[in-house]
Amino acid sequence: MDFDICVDDSGAILKLDPRTKLVMFLTSSVASLTCYSMENLLIYGIVLCVITILCGKKWLGVKSLLIFLFLIFFRYEIVTSGKGSAAIGGLLTSLITIFLFFFPVFMSLMLITQTTRINQFLAAFDAMHMPNIVVIPIAVMFRFIPTVAQEWDGIRKAMAFRGISLEPWAIIRSPLKTIEYILIPLLFSSISIMEELAAAALARGLDSGNNRTSYETVKFRAVDYLVTFMFIGLAAFFIIGRKGL
Amino acid sequence: MIEIKNVNFKYGGEEGPGDGVEDINLTIKTGEVVVLCGESGCGKTTISRMINGLIPHFYEGEFEGEVLIDDYNVSKHELCETAALVGSVFQNPKSQFFNVDTTGELTFGCENLGMSREEIGKRFAKTVTDMKLEALLNRNIFELSGGEKQQIACGSVYATEPQVFVMDEPSSNLDRKAIRRLSDILKKMKALGKTIVISEHRLYYLMDIADRFVYVKNGRIDREFTCEELRNIPEEELFALGLRSTAIENLKPRTENDYSEKTPSVEVIDLTCSRQNARIIDIDRIVLPKHSVVAVIGDNGCGKSTMAEALCGLIPSSGSVAFNGAYLNDKQRRKKCFMVMQDVNRQLFSDSCLEEVMLNATQDEEEAKKTLEKLGLLEYADRHPASLSGGQKQRTAIAAAVLADKDILFYDEPTSGLDRLGMERFGNILRDMKNDVAVSVIITHDPELITHCCTHVLHLERGRVIGFYPLDEEGVERIKGYFLSPSDDNTSKKRDKRSSVGKILGYAGKHKLSIFFAFLLMTIGAMASIVPYVGIGELIRRVIEAKSVTLDNSLTIVAGVVIAEVIYAIFYMLGLIVSHHAAYGTLENIRKTLQEKMEKLPLGFVMNKGSGEIKKLFTDDVESIEALLAHMIPEGLANLCVPVIALVILVAIDWKLALLTMLMVFIGISVSRQMYTVGMNKMGSYFAAGKRMNNAIVEYVNGMEVVRVFNRQKDSDYKYEKAVNEYRDYALEWYRVSWPWMALYKSVFANIVLYSLPFGALFVLLGQMSISNYILALMISFGTGPMLLHCMSFIGAVPQVSYKIEALESAMDSVPLKTMEEEFAGSDNTVEFRDVHFSYKDAEVIKGVSFTAAEGETTALVGMSGSGKSTLAKLLVHYYEISGGEITIGGQDIRSMSLDALNERISFVSQSVFLFNKTIMENIRMGRPDASDEEVIAAARLAECDDFIMELRDGYQTMAGSAGGALSGGQRQRISFARAILKDAPIIVFDEATAYVDAENEKKMKRAISEITRDKTVIVIAHKLKSIENADRIVVIDNGRIVGCGKNDELLGNCEEYRRLWNLNEATQDWQLKKEAQI
Repeated sequence: MDFDICVDDSGAILKLDPRTKLVMFLTSSVASLTCYSMENLLIYGIVLCVITILCGKKWLGVKSLLIFLFLIFFRYEIVTSGKGSAAIGGLLTSLITIFLFFFPVFMSLMLITQTTRINQFLAAFDAMHMPNIVVIPIAVMFRFIPTVAQEWDGIRKAMAFRGISLEPWAIIRSPLKTIEYILIPLLFSSISIMEELAAAALARGLDSGNNRTSYETVKFRAVDYLVTFMFIGLAAFFIIGRKGL
Repeated sequence: MIEIKNVNFKYGGEEGPGDGVEDINLTIKTGEVVVLCGESGCGKTTISRMINGLIPHFYEGEFEGEVLIDDYNVSKHELCETAALVGSVFQNPKSQFFNVDTTGELTFGCENLGMSREEIGKRFAKTVTDMKLEALLNRNIFELSGGEKQQIACGSVYATEPQVFVMDEPSSNLDRKAIRRLSDILKKMKALGKTIVISEHRLYYLMDIADRFVYVKNGRIDREFTCEELRNIPEEELFALGLRSTAIENLKPRTENDYSEKTPSVEVIDLTCSRQNARIIDIDRIVLPKHSVVAVIGDNGCGKSTMAEALCGLIPSSGSVAFNGAYLNDKQRRKKCFMVMQDVNRQLFSDSCLEEVMLNATQDEEEAKKTLEKLGLLEYADRHPASLSGGQKQRTAIAAAVLADKDILFYDEPTSGLDRLGMERFGNILRDMKNDVAVSVIITHDPELITHCCTHVLHLERGRVIGFYPLDEEGVERIKGYFLSPSDDNTSKKRDKRSSVGKILGYAGKHKLSIFFAFLLMTIGAMASIVPYVGIGELIRRVIEAKSVTLDNSLTIVAGVVIAEVIYAIFYMLGLIVSHHAAYGTLENIRKTLQEKMEKLPLGFVMNKGSGEIKKLFTDDVESIEALLAHMIPEGLANLCVPVIALVILVAIDWKLALLTMLMVFIGISVSRQMYTVGMNKMGSYFAAGKRMNNAIVEYVNGMEVVRVFNRQKDSDYKYEKAVNEYRDYALEWYRVSWPWMALYKSVFANIVLYSLPFGALFVLLGQMSISNYILALMISFGTGPMLLHCMSFIGAVPQVSYKIEALESAMDSVPLKTMEEEFAGSDNTVEFRDVHFSYKDAEVIKGVSFTAAEGETTALVGMSGSGKSTLAKLLVHYYEISGGEITIGGQDIRSMSLDALNERISFVSQSVFLFNKTIMENIRMGRPDASDEEVIAAARLAECDDFIMELRDGYQTMAGSAGGALSGGQRQRISFARAILKDAPIIVFDEATAYVDAENEKKMKRAISEITRDKTVIVIAHKLKSIENADRIVVIDNGRIVGCGKNDELLGNCEEYRRLWNLNEATQDWQLKKEAQI
């Protein structure tokens, strides 16, 4: 799973409002919980992948779609063949089913992180009149994912010089020691970054209450309405379909 | 106006480096630039924090007094209100940006202040143009270098247009270019009437900006200096005050450094390193002497850190690194090396200092304590490392490295943000430790540290070494030159992240579609190739199921098999035809692009590469791409696609069997992948050895004459033999690791059947699978096995091809000459050299040369061989890029002219004349291609060529190739004169053009020369001083510098070097005369 944070979205054919993507994420969660029919899931997954492709993540969309289709096919074959060891067949089917049902959630999350810039996010939250107390922590979280990755990279290098092994065997032999070696430097450097970051952000007026504006344009356009209704419609259809069961 | 009135502040808790400040009274007028200086922890940062309101709102403590900006009380108002008035830039670039993308960061401040979108847009655009940030837009901040981040930080504050700027050590992570840009930005801000308060250690870049320097000591304002006062303080007093140098010009080399140690300790050959498909490091060879302290300099993002990490074996790289003569792999290098990181927090792992240094020490605790004492850390032995100050943490890391017996120590910008004392203490530690470790390598932007403790300098640019020199007097001059040279272009480029295959496909252009088409055709063909297997399977099934097989009912199957075979043959062949068309079309594009790039490269660079290497590039390397485009991509993909489809069919037949097959294929692939990476690692050394061998062979052949004459066969043979042996060893090594892999994939993929056969049989026996399905599955496996094998053999060839593609890429992205497309726009044809510097490889050849060659005059350059006079001429015609200063023609910089425009101005008559294999007529016509035959002949007459040309067999129509042997040096020379006459350029350069003159030719030559040089700007480079004694100006050059300039008589009077040259000349002439007399 790759949650690279987006910095440049100029390659996208379809530019969706972050709010639309959030709606997609919500309906995906609903779909995951309520969709009991493979056909419905199949339609939902394909639509999601196509939108990912249109949003500029061609490879991600195509790859995910192929894996998704193959797994549905594979599961279908297992279920319909009716042969083979029931234990293995059952285990495989349930594993694949779990993955398939979580697929929309993963996919929509990746769509959000990989095609939305943080600023668009903040702008969208502002447009939704979210209080800063919700928005800022989310922004900081996004800012911190790559920071931790970078720190970890540095620590790993430092460990290599100190002969601290990260091979599985060494970790199994002394798990606590290894965790200590990783956590101590990570915590200390994160704390110092955090504090300086807070000072910098405050000195630049981040806590200015609710009159923050945004340079980003977030606007709900026709496509956004279309996509939103489509996904809400799908989710609604799943829920109704479930009642009918 | 900023007023700080009777302020006392004491930090609560453990915030900040110092304890606080007392009794601060400071008034800063609007539009003033004030620098707060002083030792670390003296309280200057605290004062700056009061102005931007972080004290007392963020850093809490006991605060008394008031801070006013005009009538606005900073300490009473909320931080977000202050933000509109005061813009802050902080020391650490890593922790002062809030966004992940640069554009978002630049607008962040404005957004917080609640500006309208239009206003933000306007300010954003203004900031980008004012601060030259175009190259940094739409990028991930995490991928930027420290200096680039700091630029963004300055930019985002600049965009909010505050009245007051507060900067806390903004230069500590910047390279010289970025510092210069920072100083330009500051000047611009000052001109706009902004008030600027900077707390800073580095003073030199602020000397002509600041109005006042406020010296803070122990939490109190101690003194104030004006710029003038500070500048006049001698170095010793600055040291006592704990202040850094005020001018780089004052830096002096340390005389006690010893450069006699020449034993190589670390030897690096052909080191290359790529990150995300972009080549970052490309080093031919570096040798670091034993016990040297090497400073690595270069602009931000030039690959200094990457080089260090590659040398340490931290990141994958290819090439060979030898330590004390033995080649080391990555893992061995990690054992030998240690890096003190810029962010030292990351490398402290233990609970106490002592434990930390003992973590993997080879010595006992006694020794550890001794080392700690040496570094002044003994009293902190039991403290937790996190509670130490930055400098102490750094020293703890050094102690750990020394105790772990590390031989090569790397320091990544160790003195950023250190005051004078801290910097000197660190320098002293390095000097003391010099002999305990083999080599110390320091990545730094700090000229003071470099002159304080380094012995050598390694200069990188764009991932390539452009100089390695000892830090003696001359070296210090070069260092100063580097740090002082103006340069304001932003070189930061977005790295090209396409894979090498992607880049090559980029050249394919319209052929890309053909390649895709070829892939489709081959896929159809490959699918058809499975059909016969399925058909035969069907026949077998009938037999097994005891149905009668007659010609009638099997005829359709047989026909199907035949048709499938035909389709296979036709489509596959068609695919190959299409793919080859596309491939050769693309090769054509690549060769054309290569040639275009080559034309823009410095001519000197091309010549240095040697025709052999360039030939190899254009033919062999480019050719190797054919395999990729014609076979690997379409054929490999088709061969991969079909098995995947087959697998899907297999799932439909029986999912269990399919699952097992997948499992086996997966194991096979992961094993081969492992082997592939191992093979890739050895690949670099193997190719490097190949390159060394080629060089050795060329040298051997070229040097054969000298070797035989001086009877040095032994040395030469030894070198040759060594290179050949090495190549053999590396090649065998590579094959050794690759063989098992090849064997494995062959066995795994050729016999997929082997896995499906037994398992399938088992399923049939258990009644899980019908026999007909079993047969079908078997047949499909038979059909796809060869394809997978084919595919894998392509994958095996990928490393070789991608290596060659990389070589091609690196040749293509050499730095082109700086030319612009301007026409000549100078006022006249006066040539002026202004403080020109030029370095060739490790040596600075031209060291600040300034002279003027006026129109209508003859300027002669004289000097010993190797003094640099020919180089000067070559610089004028832009064969090389100068490294400092400028060369102008009529006031216009030659770098702003297109090469064509420049060539039109200058005729270059060199000592070696190349005649193309064309007629003499055509050869002369090269001077001006549109000249008529009559004009050519007229020019030849003027150049005194006519006589001897007419004596040739076919006159002007004689082929120069066949006549070449018949022409004497003097005659060839005169042909080149004819070219110059024909060209009639206003500036003429003679590079030892009279070298071949003999008595018979001399008169004619002189006449020819006077014909060419009438009313021109003439620059003559001459050995024979007699020939230029009448020149209007003689410039005497010695060792890259001008030592005298004037007329012959003046120089004979006042220039010793000229007199020496003159006497030498006289002596040789005498000698010649005597010799002639003897005959």
